[in-house]
Amino acid sequence: MPAASCEGPLSERAMTARTMTARTILPRPQRGTSPPRLPGDAQRDRARLILCALLLAFMLIAGQLVRLALKAPPDVRLSLAEPMAKSWSRPDIIDRRGRLLATDVGTHSLYADPQLVQDADEAIEKLTAALSALDAAELRKTLLDKSRRFAWVARGLTPRQAQQVHALGLPGLALRTEPKRVYPLGQLTGHVLGTVNTDNRGIAGIERMLDDTNRAEAVQGPARAAAEPVRLSLDVGVQHALAEELKQACVRYSASAAAGVVLDADSGEILAAASLPEADPLRPSDWLDGQRADRLVGGTFELGSIFKLLTLAMALEAGIADLERVYDVREPLVAGPYVIKDPYPQGRPLSVREIFLHSSNVGAGMLALEVGAERQRVFLQRLGLSEPARTEAGPMAAPQLPKHWGRVETITIGYGHGLAVAPLQFAAAVASLVNGGLKVTPTLLAGFQGAGRPERIVSVATSAKLREVMRLNVTNAQGTGRYADADGYRVGGKTGTAEMAGRGGYREKSVISSFAGAFPMDAPRYVVLVLLFEPQTGEGRGQHITAGVNAAPTTARVVERIAPLLGVLPRL
Amino acid sequence: MHRRVNWALMVATLGAAFALYAIKYDTRRLELHVRAQERALEKAEADVTVLRAERAYLARPERLEPLARLIGLAPIVSSQYQRLAGSGGPQHEATPDDASNAR
Repeated sequence: MPAASCEGPLSERAMTARTMTARTILPRPQRGTSPPRLPGDAQRDRARLILCALLLAFMLIAGQLVRLALKAPPDVRLSLAEPMAKSWSRPDIIDRRGRLLATDVGTHSLYADPQLVQDADEAIEKLTAALSALDAAELRKTLLDKSRRFAWVARGLTPRQAQQVHALGLPGLALRTEPKRVYPLGQLTGHVLGTVNTDNRGIAGIERMLDDTNRAEAVQGPARAAAEPVRLSLDVGVQHALAEELKQACVRYSASAAAGVVLDADSGEILAAASLPEADPLRPSDWLDGQRADRLVGGTFELGSIFKLLTLAMALEAGIADLERVYDVREPLVAGPYVIKDPYPQGRPLSVREIFLHSSNVGAGMLALEVGAERQRVFLQRLGLSEPARTEAGPMAAPQLPKHWGRVETITIGYGHGLAVAPLQFAAAVASLVNGGLKVTPTLLAGFQGAGRPERIVSVATSAKLREVMRLNVTNAQGTGRYADADGYRVGGKTGTAEMAGRGGYREKSVISSFAGAFPMDAPRYVVLVLLFEPQTGEGRGQHITAGVNAAPTTARVVERIAPLLGVLPRL
Repeated sequence: MHRRVNWALMVATLGAAFALYAIKYDTRRLELHVRAQERALEKAEADVTVLRAERAYLARPERLEPLARLIGLAPIVSSQYQRLAGSGGPQHEATPDDASNAR
C-alpha cells in the first residue's frame, strides 16, 4: 500500500488521537515560562471556577446552619416555645359496667400573640363586648406585653362565643381546639373521680392518678380518642342508690353530713363510695372546702362501738373466749381516772354473745384487757389499721394512734375510742373478718389483682362465729341492729354511736352514728358501712340519736335497693 | 450515534420529569384528600364523644329515677320474688351480670 494513501485525509477521531499524542510528547515547560494553552483549557477553568463558587456557597450555608444550631438567639427560642402551650388529653373513665363517668370534649380557646396585635384598644373593646366574662384591665395587660408571643385570653368557649370571636377578625388573636374534661354524672362520683385544672391536668382523685401513671398525654389540639378507658370498680346504679339513701337519711334524721361505702367482701373492690356534702368535679375549689371533704378517706374518726367487731374477732381468734363465756359486767370498769359504764346496763352477767348484742362497753373492755395491749396492737396492725393506707385515688388520712398503749387505751380501743381511722380503712378491716378471714385491700379499679395471696387475719371458724353474732344482732329482738334487717337479704352487722371529739373533750349531743354490716350473712359478698354525722333524731323514737334508730334503718334501705342491682336473691 | 443517544436521554429525562411532576401533583391531591378525610374523621370522633357524653348525661340515675317513679316504677322488693311451684326455688343465685342483662 503506497505511503501517500496512508497519510491521506484523517478522520476527526484520528486527529484527536494525534493531538493528544502531541500533548503527551511536548517538552516540559522551562521555569519562568507558562505552558502553551490548548483549546478546552478555558472551559475547564470556568467549570472549576463554578464548582469552587458552588462549594463555597454550600459551605457558607452549612456554616450558617451550624451557627444557628449551636447559638440560637433567645428570641428565636421564645417564639418557638411559647406557642407550645399544651393541654392534656385524658382517657375516658367508665364504671364497672361501662357507663361513662368522665370524658374529654373539644372546646375552643382564644389565645393572643401580642407582637401581632395591631390595635390593642380596638381588640379589648370588641373582645369584652363579645365575651362579657373577660376582665378588660387584665386583657390590656396581656395584649400590651410585647415580650410574649403567646398568652391565653379565654378558654373553654362555647361554639357560639367562638364563632363571635372568629367573626371579629382581630389580628394577633386566634382560636385553638383543646380538650376539656366533662363529667356527665355531675357530683355523683365527684369525690372518687377528683378534678382537673384549666390545662386538663389531674389535681385530685382518680384524675390525679391518671397523671401520676402517665395516662394523660400532652396535646396541642383536640383530644386523642385512641386511649384505652379506665374501668373503675364503681357501679353507678349502686352509687346512686347509696347516695340517695344517705341524702334522705340526712333530711330524715337532721344529720349534718353522711358517708357510706359498699365493698366487695372478697376482692376489696369499692362498688359505691359516697360522702355528703358532695364535691363537684367541675368546681376544683370544692377540694379546698373542708365541709365537702371526702369523709371516707380524708378524715379519721373514732368510730365507737362498731370497733367491737374487731375486739370480738380478736378475742375469739386468741382463744381466750367463746360466745358462751360469761363476764360479770354489772360493775363499771375503772381505768385510772376513768370509769367506763354501759349506756344501757343490763344488771346481770352477760355472755360474749350478749355483750355484742347489747353493745356493752364494759364487756368489750374486759375482752380487750384479757387479750392484752400488745396482742391488740399487733392484731390491729395486721388488719392494716395502724398504718397509713391509700387507694388509687390517693392516700387516706393516717390513723391516729395513742402515744402510750396502756391499760386505759386497751379498754377504750376495745369499744372504739382512743384510736381514729379513716372509715374506708375500717370497712376493709370488716371485710377481712367476714369473708373467711383473708385480708382485703380496698381498690377503685375493676378486676384489680393484688400482689400474691392475701394474708390470713383470722381463721375460718372465727370468721363464721363473727358472722353468726353479726346476724344475730339484726335478727334478735334485743339486738342493737334490729332495724337494719332488710327483708330477705340476711343483713348482719354492728351499730356504733361515738361522741365526737370537740374542744375540751367529747360532745355528748354530737355523735357519729354508724352501722358496719355485710350481706348476705350466710356467705357475705358485700360489706356496707353507713355513717351519719350529728343526727338529731331517730326512727320513730323521739330524740334518740343512737345508731340503732338511724344508721341501722338507713343500712336496711340501702341494702334493699342495691341487693337486686347486685344480683343477690332474697331468701324466700 | 452519541448525539442520538444524547437526544434520547434528554427526551427520556424530560419525560421522566413530566411523569415525576404528574406523580407529585397526584400525590399532593391525594394528600389533600387524606387530610380532608382525617379532618372529617376527627370531627366525627369529636361528635361521637359529645354524643356519648350527652347520652350519659341524659341517662344519669338522678334524672331517670324521678321519671321512672312518675310512671309507677319502683325498686324491686323481696315480696315480688316467687318460688316456682315444685322447683324448690331458683336453680342458681343470680350474678351481677344477670342483673345487668335484666336491666
